[in-house]
This record gives sequence, C-alpha cells and structure tokens, in this order.
Amino acid sequence: MTQFIYGLLLYIFLMIPPIAALFESMMITHMHMQMPMLVISGFLMSGFLLRRSHRFFEKWNHNGIPGITLFMMIMIYWTIPRTMDEALTMQTMEIWKFMSLPFLAGMPLRDSWKKLTKAGKNIIIFIFTVKYFGMGALYIWSEESLCNNYLVIDQLTLGWGFITTAICLVIYLVYAFTVNPSEYE
Amino acid sequence: MDAAIEQNRRAAVLSEKKNKVLGVCLEDARISKSYLAVAFVALLLGGLLGLLQGLNRAGVLELPAWLNYYQILTAHGLLLVVVLSAFFTIGYFYAGLSHTLGGLLPKVRKLAWIGFWTKMVGLVLVVVPVLMNEASVMYTFYPPMAAHPVFYFGLVFVVLGIWMLATGAFINVAHWRKNHKGQHLPILAFFATGVFVLLVGATAFVAVEVLFMIIPWSLGWVETINVMVARTLFWAFGHTAVNIWYLTAVSAWYVIVPKIIGGTRWNDYLTRVVVIALVIMNITGGFHHQIVDPGISLPIKFMHVFMSLAIGFPSLMTAYAMFRVFERTGRRKGGKGALGWFKKLPWGDVRFLSPFIAMAAFIPAGAGGIVQSTNQLDQVVHNTMWIVGHFHLTLGMSVVMTFFGISYWLVPYLSKRVLTPQMNKLGVIQTIIWTVGMVIMAISMHAAGLFGSPRRTSFTTYGDFAETLGWNPLMTAVGIGATLLLIAVILQVHAVFNMMFFAPKGEVEFPIAEVEKNETAAPYMTERWGIWVVVMMIVIAMAYVLPLTDMIVNAPPGSPPFKTW
Ligand code: HEM
Ligand SMILES: [Cu+2]
Repeated sequence: MTQFIYGLLLYIFLMIPPIAALFESMMITHMHMQMPMLVISGFLMSGFLLRRSHRFFEKWNHNGIPGITLFMMIMIYWTIPRTMDEALTMQTMEIWKFMSLPFLAGMPLRDSWKKLTKAGKNIIIFIFTVKYFGMGALYIWSEESLCNNYLVIDQLTLGWGFITTAICLVIYLVYAFTVNPSEYE
Repeated sequence: MDAAIEQNRRAAVLSEKKNKVLGVCLEDARISKSYLAVAFVALLLGGLLGLLQGLNRAGVLELPAWLNYYQILTAHGLLLVVVLSAFFTIGYFYAGLSHTLGGLLPKVRKLAWIGFWTKMVGLVLVVVPVLMNEASVMYTFYPPMAAHPVFYFGLVFVVLGIWMLATGAFINVAHWRKNHKGQHLPILAFFATGVFVLLVGATAFVAVEVLFMIIPWSLGWVETINVMVARTLFWAFGHTAVNIWYLTAVSAWYVIVPKIIGGTRWNDYLTRVVVIALVIMNITGGFHHQIVDPGISLPIKFMHVFMSLAIGFPSLMTAYAMFRVFERTGRRKGGKGALGWFKKLPWGDVRFLSPFIAMAAFIPAGAGGIVQSTNQLDQVVHNTMWIVGHFHLTLGMSVVMTFFGISYWLVPYLSKRVLTPQMNKLGVIQTIIWTVGMVIMAISMHAAGLFGSPRRTSFTTYGDFAETLGWNPLMTAVGIGATLLLIAVILQVHAVFNMMFFAPKGEVEFPIAEVEKNETAAPYMTERWGIWVVVMMIVIAMAYVLPLTDMIVNAPPGSPPFKTW
C-alpha cells in the first residue's frame, strides 16, 4: 500500500502542468525522464492493483511473455518521433501517454519481470541496447529535424542520451555474463 | 570424536573472536599508519598556511613577494581538501578492510604500497610548481588559468594511485565474498566499497579533464580550451570528492560511535540503503557548484536543485538515525524523561565528543548548503567569504573533527599502544579549542560574505573605501579564529605522533557496533554492487548528456592559457 501511495504521488507530481511543461520543454527529459518516471509510477502503483486482479493476470500472463511484449510495444511506440510530437500538440495524445505508460507498460512490466527467466531478462535488455544504439545513431546523424517541436540540437542531445544509456546497458550485460553470482551468493 | 570436533569449532570461534578484538596485522597496520602520518603532516602544513591566510586577511601580516597569498591558498586547499582527506580516508578504510575482512591479501598490500608511492610522487610533482609560483591556480585549477604542465602530471599520478587503492579494495572485497557466500559484507567494508566506487567515478571525470583537455593545452599542442566543459568535469570530481570525505565521516557515525557510547547500531538495512543512495546520486550533484556559471540553461539548473536536495534526504536520515541511537543508548543506561538520556552520553571521551560536535556542526552546515542550492540566494553569496565559512563548517568541522575523533582510537590500535587518560584529556582540550576557533572563524566568514567580501582575495582596503572597511572587524575575527585553530592543529598532530610512537604499549579494540538483537536481516539485494554501479552510471549519463552536448556544440571559441599571477 505504501508503494501504491508513492507511485500515485509520483504520478500526480508528473501531471502538474508546470512540471509536465518543464520535462516536455527538452526533448531528452521528455523521453528519458518523464516517460521512464511514468513507467515507474505505474510499476509502483500496480503491486496493489495486481494483487486484486491476480486471477486475470495469472490467466493471461502466466509466463510473463504477453506482458513483456505489451511493455515493449508501448515503449517502442513512444520512441517514435512522431508520437512525441503528437503528445505535445494533441491533448488526446497527451492523455494517452499518461495512461499508456503507467498502466500498459509499468503494470505489465511488474507482473512479467519476475516471471521471466534470467535469459529472458537479458534478452529484453539486449533488445533495448540494440534499439538504443540504433535510435542514438538515427538522432545523431539525421541532418534534419525529426520532430516539429524540437530543434536539431535537442535531437542531437537525445541521440547522445541514447548512446550513453546503451553503453551503460552493455556494461550491465558484460557484468551479467562475466560475473557468476553463484560464486558469491 | 564429536567432542573433538566441537572443541575444534570452539577454538576456531575463539581465535576469530580474538582476532576481532586484538588482532591487528602488523603489515596491514604499517600501510594505514603511513597514510595517517602523511594526512597529519598535511594538516600541520595546511594549518600553518591557514594561519598565514587568516592573519593576512585580518590585515596584520603582509606576505613577502616570494610567498604570495595565492600560492599559499593553492597549497592550503590542496593539502587539506585533497591530501589530508584522501590519505585519511584511505588509511582508515584500509584498516577497516583489514580488520573486518580478516586481513589484506598479499597482492592487495602490494597494490596499496605502489599506490602510496605513486601518490607521493604525484604530490611532489604538484607541490614543486606551487612552491615555485608556477601554479597559483588554486585547488580548482580552472582554465583558462594555466599552471606549469608538471603540476597537471602530478595530478595524473595522484589519480593513478587512487585507482590502485580502489582496485585493491575491490579485490579484497570480492575475495571475502567468495569465501563467505551469501553473507552480507561487514558494514564497514560496505561503506568502504561505496567510497571506493565513488572515488573511481569522481576521479574518472578529472582524469578526462586533465589528460584530454588541460595537458595538451598547457603543453601548447592545442591552442584553446573549452572552459565550461573543463569546469563541469572538475565539479563532477570536486563535489564528489568532498562528499566522499563526508561519507567517510558518516561511516564512523553509523558504525563506530554507537559502540563507543556502549550501544548498538541503527537499522542495518536502512544504513546500507543510505550508502547506496549516496553513491547513486552523488556525482550529478556537481552542478550545484555551477549555479552562477553562464552557459547552462535555467531549466537544467532548476532540475539540479532537485538532484542536490535529493542528496539531502539520506543526510536527514543520518541525523535521525544518530539521535535515535543516542536516545536508545542513553535510556538503556537509565536516562529518564525527555532529555535525561542526553546526560548519560560519555561527554568526557574524546572519541565521542569530537564526532558529536562534528555531527552538530552539520546542522548549520547543511542549512547553509540548502541556501546555496537555491539560485536566488546563491546569487548573493556566490564567491564570497560565506562559501569559505560554509566549507569550513562542513569539512573543517563535520568531516575533520570526526577524523580527529577516529584518530584517538585508530592510531593506538594500529600501533599497539593505548589512549592514556592524559591523552584523552588533551584530546578533549584540543576538541574544544578547535570548536571555538572554527565557530568564530566560520561565523565571521559567513557574515563578511553576506556583506560582500570576496573569497580568494588577499588583504586590501580597496583604497580605504568606506563600505568595504566595514568588513575589517569581521576579518579580524577570522584572524583570531585562525590563531586558535593553529593551536588545536599542533595539539592534534602532537597527539597523533605521540600515540603512534611513544604512548604506553597495550591493546585497544577496533570499535565496531553490533546490530540490535532480533533485527531482521537486510535483503541480499543491497549486496549487488554491480547493479548499483550501473544505475549510478545511468543517472550520471542522464544528468550530463544535456549540458555537455550543449556546451560542446554551442561552444564559444575557447581560450588560450593565461598566467594571471
Ligand atoms: C587551521 C585551520 C584552518 C584555517 C586557519 C583556515 C583558514 C582559511 C582561510 C583564511 C582561507 C582563505 C579564504 C580566501 O581567501 O578565500 C581558507 C581557504 C580554504 N580552506 Fe581553510 N582553514 C583551516 C582549515 C581547513 C581545513 C581543515 C580544510 C579542509 C579539510 C580547509 C579547506 C580550505 C579550502 C578548500 C579553502 C579554499 C581554497 C581556495 O579558495 O582555493 N581549511 N582557509
Ligand atoms: Cu557539492
């Protein structure tokens, strides 16, 4: 229950118009801070909700794969430049963003992550790594502005944000494959 | 048969216990003692220079041309905020690793020695240009001020030395964990791991700054330097360094002080969470030193206010934890009523008194820090004596007084000598003089700063300008504080070397408090340092990508080197 409250507080905080406007004023904070925080708020809130609808998730998501697929689809959807643009210009898309990230990404992530095998988890991280390098390359090398609402420098910054995050993920994967936890735990 | 096994087991437990109480491995002790000796020599020299600065700014001492104010100030900053703190931290944590992990591995010992001498070589290379007035660039060495290249090579050696020590610590910790599967790292070693992770992270930034930007530029291989990028990299290091010294002091507050007052530690799980939180969020705090810098957009500065205040949260938890421990212990000793427990604390014991005052000083120091994190308020105090007052509270009291308190048991422990009642009394006197001196000096510095007196400026009456003459009484108080402080420095250094070489032989314990009985164990998650390091790197990446890209892409022409002195 405390987790639910923290998640809800984070969610409300992110919704406050000046806060939302601050995050959305920069492309990188829009994609790499506001969106992940929305997912986290959903992740925190859903512990409580999942327990109430346990049956449903047991039936539809017993091995975690449907849930994680939904999570990936939502995450990839929101890295498309056009969707970011629309969230800024169309009220309904903004609402969709605030609904989909916590409840269609954060919540299934929570239900699925612990059900995945170790290999499954690493595959997901690997997919994100590849995608981040790809998106990074796209945003860095693209000559023209991909979003109506952001400048080319915003785009370049976001590109480097993708690359640096991808590097961190590579470090994690190297760690996961070289360090054998059973030697320590 | 069974009886024999049981006896063996008992003997093993007993020897382990004996090891815990008495055993200091002499070879490991020599490493820690060397580090502590350098630290306290640095205190003596740095304190002496501090006095000269204080007297100069009070207007009673004119410095000769061959030893000017800015030379002294550079040396004072480096000796105290880099040498004293780093050497003490390493000496203390290596003693802690040796004690809690059952001794250092031979190869770790070797690394520690190589690291020691690498750092000493680096130190000499740094100090010589400073003495020759070729490097009066202050400890922040901001470009476009350029020192002699040797100064920067020295810094590289210092960083290399630190990396060796960090590697050594990691090797020892990994070794212990392989032999103690599934167990939690002993708490002091846990703090040490966090500290060394941060040391590597912090010095990586300054290494990039020095190796790839400043050295080629000071050698003339490239013409100009991007000043903003250099400052940003510096503060990722400088801020974290200071926080590492603070985390070192905090480790003693959580682990050592409860034992000295005869109590138990605060909740083990939450203690580990505090360490992890401080490690993950620390480096990005560097931006609060650049609130007044141009070239960083306001929204970014605004977001970094959150980051800085986020570090404040674990600090508040620390304050809560400490008072909880004090109250619990005082009550168990029979303290009654709302504040009766307070009287039950061992006020006459320097090993408690000194860290206690250190903690108390963190209350105004932390409040000042919040002031400085606030853009509008910082506009008033930025680059004034206020800032100097602030970090003499945080470092000169909270950190250094904790170090002093530690020295009164660590040095005797390492030297197999005892803390005599006379030495304890001397320590109490030293603590009081230091406190009075620092309080006088810090308060008058804060006040002078509020009226506008700039930092890093040798004595001047500004052509007897009436407004600025009003600062002088405050600066006289700085001089008085500085004089008291030097007396305390001499007492402290005397105490350390006396305890190291002359005090009566004997055994003292390494005070590590136990957890409360029947406390639930921390989840194993806290031990997964690999994950915490990756999270830390993601946080750093997020925080730095935006301003750095902006500074590099929209860079001004860049600056050639200047020698401004
Ligand atoms: C004997 C005790 C001390 C005295 C009398 C003293 C005095 C001073 C004075 C007068 C200044 C110069 C202010 C200015 O012109 O800007 C200064 C700067 C400084 N002090 Fe101390 N201090 C003492 C101890 C310490 C300690 C223990 C530390 C840290 C561990 C420390 C760290 C610094 C630093 C980092 C600076 C700034 C140097 C700069 O601006 O480049 N001091 N001190
Ligand atoms: Cu800082």
